[in-house]
Amino acid sequence: MGDERARLEAVYRETYGQITAYAARRCHSPQDAADVVAETFAIAWRRIGELPDGEEATLWLYGVARKVLANHYRGEVRRQALSVELDAEMADLYGASPDSGVEVKAIAQIFRALPDDDRELLSLVAWECLDRQEIATVLGLSRNAVRIRLHRARRRFARALAEADVRFRSESRLIPAERQL
Amino acid sequence: MKNIDDIDEITRALARVEPGALGGRPSDAGARTLLASITAEEPGPPVAHPPRRHRPRRLVLGLAGAALLAVGIVMAQSLVQSGVSPSYAVTKDPDGVVYVKVRDFHDAAGLTKQLAELNVPAIVDYAPPGKWCKEPRGTYVEDIPRGLYSVPENIPGEETSRGWQMRINTKLFKPGQTFVWTIGEEGTTTILMNDPVAPCVLVPDESHKVKEEKPDYLTATKKGHSLAGFRVDEKTVGEVLPELRKRGLKVTYLIMGIPEGNPGGFGELRTQTAPVGDDWIVWEAEESIRKPGVIRLLVTDKRYDKNPVYGGPRDNVIKE
Repeated sequence: MGDERARLEAVYRETYGQITAYAARRCHSPQDAADVVAETFAIAWRRIGELPDGEEATLWLYGVARKVLANHYRGEVRRQALSVELDAEMADLYGASPDSGVEVKAIAQIFRALPDDDRELLSLVAWECLDRQEIATVLGLSRNAVRIRLHRARRRFARALAEADVRFRSESRLIPAERQL
Repeated sequence: MKNIDDIDEITRALARVEPGALGGRPSDAGARTLLASITAEEPGPPVAHPPRRHRPRRLVLGLAGAALLAVGIVMAQSLVQSGVSPSYAVTKDPDGVVYVKVRDFHDAAGLTKQLAELNVPAIVDYAPPGKWCKEPRGTYVEDIPRGLYSVPENIPGEETSRGWQMRINTKLFKPGQTFVWTIGEEGTTTILMNDPVAPCVLVPDESHKVKEEKPDYLTATKKGHSLAGFRVDEKTVGEVLPELRKRGLKVTYLIMGIPEGNPGGFGELRTQTAPVGDDWIVWEAEESIRKPGVIRLLVTDKRYDKNPVYGGPRDNVIKE
């Protein structure tokens, strides 16, 4: 019992930053993100026996968070112990909205209209920076299935952008300033 | 058509938290409170398994989902009809703190009216299955005052219903802010927005739908599975392990909790990889979907009069 608690605490310290980032990137509001984070770690505690060690723990938690997000609805996911403090901390992550600028806004809209599975694949690559094997673990798919689906997802996104005739003056406008190479 | 690098670069630009960067810090107050509240409870148990019935597995899953939904809805309706509880209740104490309980998701108009009478700036909309209000309806308030609201939580004593309650301190609303609730069987969101908030225009939207979770484990001893042809039920762990080894399978143990009188069905006490006694009893073996090659043995430390997994002999349920 004490061991399990120490184990969750260690995993929490290791993964909290990644799981909060995952939730904030996908939820419209800080409150929703806080819900997803809380429920994800609550599930980790309930299923502590299944929680893998090391790097695998992060991937396992991404998988859980993804299901929580899919099932998310306020009445069930909200936990009693959640605090307004946590909401406020999550809100800090929402300071700089990526959707500023007309072009990015239009692209974001097209991105949101993609099928859920496409969006998640593209996001795991571009936002969580996972490789195919890691994505396969998160989604419970084979590596080959990930490769094929990712290819299709990229193609669909590219086509949707082309169809919407979204223009950007230059690629670099889309890259956040601090990431410019 | 853009190439792959472009697509990934475009996707990266959409990230709210910079790609690869970390979000919150586990040392922050809210994060620490959350961890403490999670580990304040016992880990493991609250999973309960009713005994398995004689039906194809897929069907059981489908029905289980549907039944669960029906129970939630039926319960809400019967509460309303019997007059035990109204579909919603709003009370305000002298400090300006409002308590809201919502049990029926349909009466958005009634709730809106009552909130308005108590000077809570709120908009409530009902979203029928498969629809949701078109977003965005307004901008989100980012600095939410401490103590403005408690998070929605279960109504004590009605944990199995889908109703929820929350506390709102109306004195902490700033002018020009509105609480926006969208409620439906498929989901409820509560978001604090800046005025003006656009009225709800219902559009087809499946993203709030409760998706059926796929199981993480399947019965391993059935045809076509990793222990096909080898029965484990009612054997001892010592009798089962050699076969698992022979087939090159790894083992974990689900320690079952058996309710008083062994009526059929069991709880999960814990899952462990540490060995259990060779004389423990195995009631079924399951294979992990996520990790092929891992078997989970459902075990108890002593023999019971009948198989708790099936509420009797396995043969009564699985015939193949």
